[in-house]
Amino acid sequence: MNISMSSPSATLARIGPPLLAVLAALTVGLIVIVGMGAALDKALLAFWRGAFGNGYAISASLNRAVSLALVGIGFVIANRAALTNVGGEGQIAMGGIAATALCLFPPIAGLPLGLAFVVPLLGAALAGGAWGGIAGVLRTRSGTNEVIATLLLSFIATWLLYWCVQSEALLRQPMTSSATLPESLPIPEATHVPLLTGSYSSPVTLGLPITIALAAVAALVLARSLFGFRLSAVGLNPVGAARAGINVGGHIVSALFIAGAFGGLAGGLMLQGEQFSLKAGFSSGYGFDGLVVGLLARNSITGVLAGALLFGFMRSGGIAMEMGAGVPSALVSILQGLIVVLIAGVAYFQDRRSVR
Amino acid sequence: MATLSAMKEASVAPPPGRDQPVPRLTMSGVGKVFGAFTALANIDIAFHAGEVHCLLGENGAGKSTLCNIIYGLHSPSSGAMVCDGVSYAPANPKAALASGVAMVHQHFSLIPELSVLDNLLMGQRFGRLDRRGEAARIVTLAETYGLSLDPHALVADLSVGQRQRVEIVKCLMHNPKILILDEPTAVLLPDEITALLEICRRVADSGSAVVMVTHKLAEIEAIADRVTVLHRGIVAARSDRPAADMDGLVRAMIQRPDATGDDPAGLAQLSTRRHRPSGKAADEVAQLDGISLRDELGIARLQDVTLSIARGEIVGIAGVEGNGQTELGNMLAGLLHASDGRWFVEGQDLSKASPRQITEAGVGIVPEDRHRVGAVDRLSLADNIFLNRMPQYSRFGIIDRRRQVAAASTLAQQFDVRAAGMGVRFGSLSGGNQQKAVLARELTTPNLRFLLAAQPTRGLDVGAVKAVYSLIRDAADTGVGVLLISSELDELLAVADRIVVLYRGQIVGECTTDASNREQIGIWMSGKHT
Repeated sequence: MNISMSSPSATLARIGPPLLAVLAALTVGLIVIVGMGAALDKALLAFWRGAFGNGYAISASLNRAVSLALVGIGFVIANRAALTNVGGEGQIAMGGIAATALCLFPPIAGLPLGLAFVVPLLGAALAGGAWGGIAGVLRTRSGTNEVIATLLLSFIATWLLYWCVQSEALLRQPMTSSATLPESLPIPEATHVPLLTGSYSSPVTLGLPITIALAAVAALVLARSLFGFRLSAVGLNPVGAARAGINVGGHIVSALFIAGAFGGLAGGLMLQGEQFSLKAGFSSGYGFDGLVVGLLARNSITGVLAGALLFGFMRSGGIAMEMGAGVPSALVSILQGLIVVLIAGVAYFQDRRSVR
Repeated sequence: MATLSAMKEASVAPPPGRDQPVPRLTMSGVGKVFGAFTALANIDIAFHAGEVHCLLGENGAGKSTLCNIIYGLHSPSSGAMVCDGVSYAPANPKAALASGVAMVHQHFSLIPELSVLDNLLMGQRFGRLDRRGEAARIVTLAETYGLSLDPHALVADLSVGQRQRVEIVKCLMHNPKILILDEPTAVLLPDEITALLEICRRVADSGSAVVMVTHKLAEIEAIADRVTVLHRGIVAARSDRPAADMDGLVRAMIQRPDATGDDPAGLAQLSTRRHRPSGKAADEVAQLDGISLRDELGIARLQDVTLSIARGEIVGIAGVEGNGQTELGNMLAGLLHASDGRWFVEGQDLSKASPRQITEAGVGIVPEDRHRVGAVDRLSLADNIFLNRMPQYSRFGIIDRRRQVAAASTLAQQFDVRAAGMGVRFGSLSGGNQQKAVLARELTTPNLRFLLAAQPTRGLDVGAVKAVYSLIRDAADTGVGVLLISSELDELLAVADRIVVLYRGQIVGECTTDASNREQIGIWMSGKHT
């Protein structure tokens, strides 16, 4: 007997509300486009082209989805211990800083066997993990709410990144003229994350399979492992977990470390797979969108992947729609917000019913 | 018990209207369904002016649901109510109050930092507060019903019994036609119970209908004019001569042929099957040595508690709740550490040990708060049975569910935990099955030598009470030393070998479980020995 198996109707109850919410939000989106006086057909065509139009568009969407998925998986893992990690943005930034520093450290680029790109990625994960772990330590040592801690740490990380690209003593490229941009040197080719297709016309990186593999591992750990079980116990009842001999503080720190590490890895992949040099505004909101994906998924890793794909493609389409049809890409943010509100609303009513 | 019965005799005049009872509130065909669960079905009941009407029933029989319907917290799924000849369907407690229905809940809603007066005036209309006038009014009101109350005292300084009086006055200020009391005596000392029953009688005499939920038979004998027995959501019996019908009422309540009024759980039958411990010092399995404990505010919760428990001995800790029992239990569970003193199991110092080390030392803990400490409600039964032993069922960090579920169902069978399957949520089980599951885990602690059972029968029905105690006794028979903390004196007298009384965190007396010691224990519990 498999106790974690759920019936088809239960599955429908789980995925039904998010699907309906997405459909409702998209309908609202169409109404808004028409209301703004934009040509609907033109807008939709632009959206389609931007999201799925060619190999490049699909690849760009997938790369966006990868970043969102990683942050979302981390969110779900921390959430298993009843912790809310809202610090994805900062963890991405720390990952980006660490990856840049390692990539630009000459011996790294000379490493064989692909270690040239793996080591900076690991460094990025560690840096993000440490950033999340700080919030965990604050929570266990002094009871600081992790929502506040991770959020404020995000601001610190964002400005640290800004400092890094502004100061030549840190990561800024040598100033040769007053026109030198405040960004790092481009990282060496050897440290780039390899492309799956080998062609820059469809730049999907190795990050995609890595993310899928990590998602599978995370799902397994949450559903079947001792660690996942203990995270649940700590999240559902910390006192009961402590009585059962579980190290509650240790699990809180680990959960936030892992969440941060996923964010850091996302930062590393963004740098080494797409941007190749560190600039201010490096993350541009992936941390917060990833958090939304995690929220949407309601503790399901599969849900994270689905949500990440949805948001990744919506973001690409939205940008194209702004350029091609003059519909502000802020519309996508509105729709994202609407989806979250709808799903949260349905969840509220479902939970209330199941309590009664 | 003698005092309670005497009081009824002394009750001055027969309540007005007993000859021609006037129904204050009638419920006809009232039912309440929660999802698939029928909490109440087709209840017909009338509450009369001038009477104390007791609702009797086991846990889960529907008593609280019934009260909550009258008080407007639940709306009935079927049926109708009539109050003083007018159709009555309160949408919420505020509407119920406006119709003259007031309720004293088990859990008080007072603000300790405020005075009695301010607590009582809270929720009154806005406007100018005439404190002095209100205080006088409240004192007069309280005295009418024989409640003595200092309106200027801080609620924090009051005893539980006094706080309950504040709650009652709060209700009386609304001049209720119907006063509902939900298990009002659960937290009271014997003396305070007598006083409370007297107040109930006076309220009834003033023409109100008093509805009292209880499962203490002595109180019914002492006060009830009428009794309605609920069993699984239906009326199982009624009586307007409760004192005479006692045995029948008890049988209706628990629906088991062999139960009698004095020992509804049949605990006496347990007594014959065990040896008594030798009492030799060499046989000691656990010692508490001068344990003192202060809480985070620096208030002493335990003072110099010294105690030893022998192999196979059941030591009962008696006392009114809130006299250090919770802290003692949490300390032995490893959730709190003593500020002073040490405790040992088989010579091993566990004063600074973690919960895991305590379990590894062969100590089983059945905590007082099952939902917060003893289990994780939202995990499955199987997970809770092995909450502290999951590594046994995992390899390389991955849990072998099949093996775990098989082992859990073996244990569940052995301990008679009834559930639809091992995967059901622990929180969805009945209290008795939850407690048996906790016992299944704790009694199978490897190398078990010492068991703490804190309020192990709280919230359980009588059948489960008996099952829990026979499990604990079986453990003692195999040589496990047991510390049994309970606020149910009858249960301690029936089950324990020796009783120690805790009052304000100190041991104030110790005696055998002979029934003749009951009075002395009561004196110790109330702190009157000093």
